[in-house]
Amino acid sequence: MIGYYISLAMRSLRGTPILSALMIAAIAVGVGASMTVLTLNYMMSQNALAHKDDVLYAVQLDSWDPNGAYNRGGRGNEMPWQLTYRDAEALLRSDIPTRQVAMHRFGFTVTLEDSEVRPFVAETRVTTRDFFSMFDVPMLYGNIWNEDADTSPVQTVVLNKALNEKLFGGEDSVGKTVELNGEPFTVAGVIDYWNPSPKVYDLNNNPFSDSEEIYIPFGLHRKFQIYSWGNTNGWNSPDPEVEGYEGHLLSESVWIQFWVELDNDTRKKEYENLLTGYIQQQKEQGRFQRPLKFGLTRPSEWLVLNEVLHDDNRVLGWASLAFLLVCVVNAVALLLAKFLRKAPEAGVRRALGANRNAIFIQHLIESSCIGVLGGLIGICFALLGLSGIRMLSMGQIDQIASMDWLMMLAAIGLAILASLLAGLYPAWRISRTNPSIYLKTQ
Amino acid sequence: MFELKPMLSALWRNKVSAMLIALQLALTLAIVSNATAIVQDRLTSMARPTGMDVDNIIAITFMPVPKDYDMAGAVRADLDMMRSMPGVVDASVTNHIPVSGSGSASSFYLEPNAQIGDLDGNYYQTDPHFINTLGLNLIAGRNFSDDEMHVIGSNESFIGSVIIVTQQFADAAFPEGDALGKFLYHGSKDNPMEIIGIVERHLGAWPSWALAGNVVFHPLLVEGNHKRYLVRTEPGQRDAIFKQLEDKLAERDPQRVIHLETLSEKLASTHVSDNIMVKVLSAVMTLLTFIVALGIVGLTIFWINQRAKQIGIRRALGATRANISRYFLVENSLIAGTGLVLGTAGALIINQLMVSEFSQPVLSLTILAVCAILLFAVSLAAALMPAMRAANISPAMATRSI
Repeated sequence: MIGYYISLAMRSLRGTPILSALMIAAIAVGVGASMTVLTLNYMMSQNALAHKDDVLYAVQLDSWDPNGAYNRGGRGNEMPWQLTYRDAEALLRSDIPTRQVAMHRFGFTVTLEDSEVRPFVAETRVTTRDFFSMFDVPMLYGNIWNEDADTSPVQTVVLNKALNEKLFGGEDSVGKTVELNGEPFTVAGVIDYWNPSPKVYDLNNNPFSDSEEIYIPFGLHRKFQIYSWGNTNGWNSPDPEVEGYEGHLLSESVWIQFWVELDNDTRKKEYENLLTGYIQQQKEQGRFQRPLKFGLTRPSEWLVLNEVLHDDNRVLGWASLAFLLVCVVNAVALLLAKFLRKAPEAGVRRALGANRNAIFIQHLIESSCIGVLGGLIGICFALLGLSGIRMLSMGQIDQIASMDWLMMLAAIGLAILASLLAGLYPAWRISRTNPSIYLKTQ
Repeated sequence: MFELKPMLSALWRNKVSAMLIALQLALTLAIVSNATAIVQDRLTSMARPTGMDVDNIIAITFMPVPKDYDMAGAVRADLDMMRSMPGVVDASVTNHIPVSGSGSASSFYLEPNAQIGDLDGNYYQTDPHFINTLGLNLIAGRNFSDDEMHVIGSNESFIGSVIIVTQQFADAAFPEGDALGKFLYHGSKDNPMEIIGIVERHLGAWPSWALAGNVVFHPLLVEGNHKRYLVRTEPGQRDAIFKQLEDKLAERDPQRVIHLETLSEKLASTHVSDNIMVKVLSAVMTLLTFIVALGIVGLTIFWINQRAKQIGIRRALGATRANISRYFLVENSLIAGTGLVLGTAGALIINQLMVSEFSQPVLSLTILAVCAILLFAVSLAAALMPAMRAANISPAMATRSI
């Protein structure tokens, strides 16, 4: 029966080409616009660490100015997003967390001896070795550096797959040497393609930028006098007693991102006690003059706290849904017009024995045909819309402005839902008409 | 004269369709007026003057490869080389590229050793050529002199004795308007910094920052592991110079990585999110209006077909073509009017949410009124063609039975 209804529906669509085209266009444009925006919002709301959400925590300590709370344009929880180097160094000594990562963004010039490759700057992450296991970074060749490199200067480096291809043609480069800022570094390992977006482990700069090309151990700060290439925020002038780079490391500037992995609630309690104890001990030394406060935030909450999905994105999401609603209302009006025009046909079918339900279902199927067609065209519109967004964003969000199969299915689903919703009243209305009127006039 | 009574009773018979049209217009007005408010807000913010000759400036970042590098020497040699190039107006060194979204800010105080009462300002470490290079307008005082320029290592701390500030920052610090010759301090330090000059405007690093335009310039070169230059060219020469610069800089010293961008590119990429908002909302508004107009056309045609016989009777009874057209136009106006009144209420309610939940701009009544009038005009235009067609229905229709 359904096959028959579908063929009836197609015939009826062809019977009123302009009206049908208008309805299909309305659904297609509505679905296209809303799927463009919803795809962006969906991709921006991804959490690459969802499977570790109950064990990973971003650590914050309120080491800020006693005269005023930390404030980044009204965002966040009034605590600095990052730690000072000295606090990170102190927390790293704890053995409560299963894994812990202290890190920040940096950049090195890369040169390769006897090579055609011109010197270039590589996005770098300076980090402790737990980074790779904590964030599930897949290894392609070799291994990560040893533990001692986290505290003492060992010139070793982990490359990402793309950089290994650029420098060594993709072969196993473990043990080879690259020059970073003119100094030799031994390749310890190469990671496979890994590019979580949003970059939940460091949301400070562009949360949709690519993950870093090279990774070096945390023990190299003093040797290379490394400053952060991410954000460094301070509130007082450094102690004039300690000069030079050491002064920067001992200063109250925050620039180190810190994550811990705490396996269960007991561990978490212990770690909270440790942080409380640490802050109290620092208070005795005259630091941490604000009320005692620290933060342990899960990845999912960290994404919300950092407002990865902007208010603007939410506004666009609602605007596109409202747009789809107008398209649906529009389709209701047009379907009503179309069905009423064909009321005599329905009257004849009723008179020949079709019951109200049959008429109702036949017309609903006709409207879902419109939905499927509109949805298919809508996907094309959404793809166009996304490529438009990619162009407008000048490469800043390339990674997320693309549609996966799930979103395509969602688009068809949305289109069918919209058209069913649109068809409900007109189909009901036509199924209630009295056949005798039409039989008389014919 | 407008045949309101029969019209209303006819509308009542078609109440669902009429309501659907009114509802569409109401929703459209609510969306379009709020979207317009947002678009207008973003356009205003993007159109803010930067104070700089953005179109003719090239920004260069370079990073030397060797570890012990004579940064001060390299900067001097590069700047001399670039300034002597034909087509180059001037060049200067800077710690950050303006309007790029990355920069430095610091707190400034009116009293020495102060802890509270600070003013936040975006700061640049640059040289005496910055005014000419950026095309800034020095409105009071003087520029830095060459002997006020200092070079320090990246780990040294140093506070110079002179600064130049923007007019906006000068007014924020000294509301009386007598900033020139006054002193500012860094927190917990007692070195005075004299304001020796005031430039009219410089938007700073972050155009969307609440304090954008509060900018302070220091005559200082901090040797670090990378440095930046700004180069201003004669109008129209930017792209030609851009091509030459990369080779010339690499030729002078190949032991480094050089990255060139134009300042207009930087500014555009800083405005990306505002630009996306403007473009997407404009597209939504246009499509929405178009869809609603098509809906009105479709429905009016349908009504007219349905009532063709009645129209024929009216014509046979003496109604002129104008009467018939007017009937449909007035009917449409009634529906549109109802919809727009509902839409006004909807727009105001939605705007409340936009302001409180999503920190968007307040919808002004002017925007609301303009949007309502435009939508009314669109709905009339959409009804016009079918109404004219209705007027052409022949009185003979009255004699036929469908």
